[in-house]
Amino acid sequence: MGERQSWRSAAAGARSGAAVALGLLVTLGESASTEQTVIIQTFQFKPTLTEVPAGTRVSFTNQDDITHTVTSGTPESPDGKFSHRLEGKGASAAVDLTKPGVYPYFCERHRSMRGEIRVK
Amino acid sequence: MKRVVSSIVGAVAAAAILVVSVGQPVTRAQAQQGHTMAAMTTSSTKASGLRSTLNTLFQEHIYLAAAATGAALGGREAEFKAAAAALDANSVAISKAIGSVYGQGAEDAFLPLWRKHIGMVVDYTVGVGTNDKAKQDKAVADLIGYTQDFGAFLQSANPNLPKSVVADLVKHHVVTLKEVIDAQASKDPAKAYTAVRTAAGHMQMIADPLAEAIVKQFPDKFSS
Repeated sequence: MGERQSWRSAAAGARSGAAVALGLLVTLGESASTEQTVIIQTFQFKPTLTEVPAGTRVSFTNQDDITHTVTSGTPESPDGKFSHRLEGKGASAAVDLTKPGVYPYFCERHRSMRGEIRVK
Repeated sequence: MKRVVSSIVGAVAAAAILVVSVGQPVTRAQAQQGHTMAAMTTSSTKASGLRSTLNTLFQEHIYLAAAATGAALGGREAEFKAAAAALDANSVAISKAIGSVYGQGAEDAFLPLWRKHIGMVVDYTVGVGTNDKAKQDKAVADLIGYTQDFGAFLQSANPNLPKSVVADLVKHHVVTLKEVIDAQASKDPAKAYTAVRTAAGHMQMIADPLAEAIVKQFPDKFSS
């Protein structure tokens, strides 16, 4: 399965309108230079901390049989940069991070689930 | 002569006891085999320790939860705070038991998930105490939804625990605890304490399969 297919299946799995792109995400037709995977398992983002170079596509795959979200910011302060709803086991989504910075994220349904991506 | 007779009588009596005990005389080899088997048959295995620990913790959860809700409904604030603190200590202990099997990450993930349902039970109790039907209904709906999350967590940790089965068991936990709170609110102590026993007894239905599934998942860890 190619990157584009992976993205499409991710997009199909996400609830419509849930994904918000605010300049951090490249368009569907573009490709990121590298790819990093975060899995969601036993109500945890694994790895919790991800360090990647700018231009990396970070994909999230839900391995729990329950809906989780990958939402940028913190529960106290969501920043609206991205939000994907992964409805059940096997659902996936990706974000392409082109700008260096620190991107915290969390699950809206289980707010103790938190992760962070550091883009260099 | 008397000493000989008395030792013969003693030996006969001992043999008689063995015969009576097992129905037929026991040879030395059989006795040794029995001794070996007795040594192997012990309740102090790692698996039984796990099951015992989980049963203790889950039943404690009921008794402390009931103490907290009873105090809250009775307006005994100091008692409620003490019970709630003890209940939270129990939550931490349960999460540590999970962590002892599945690691720190799972422990850290489990604790807020477990605490979440306690918050919902508190919401239900407040709804009952204030006659707020909408609050009660929302708390019950939240708790029913929570059973799916809890089932998903355990299934993710252990494939021997199907989500739907766990969810049903936890749903029954919610229902039995709700009956405790309702009985406490109706100021019917006999009914309340009967419900407490029922709720506590049901926790074995969660603790036993959980222990069994963990042992099945990690047979080497619980081989002795």
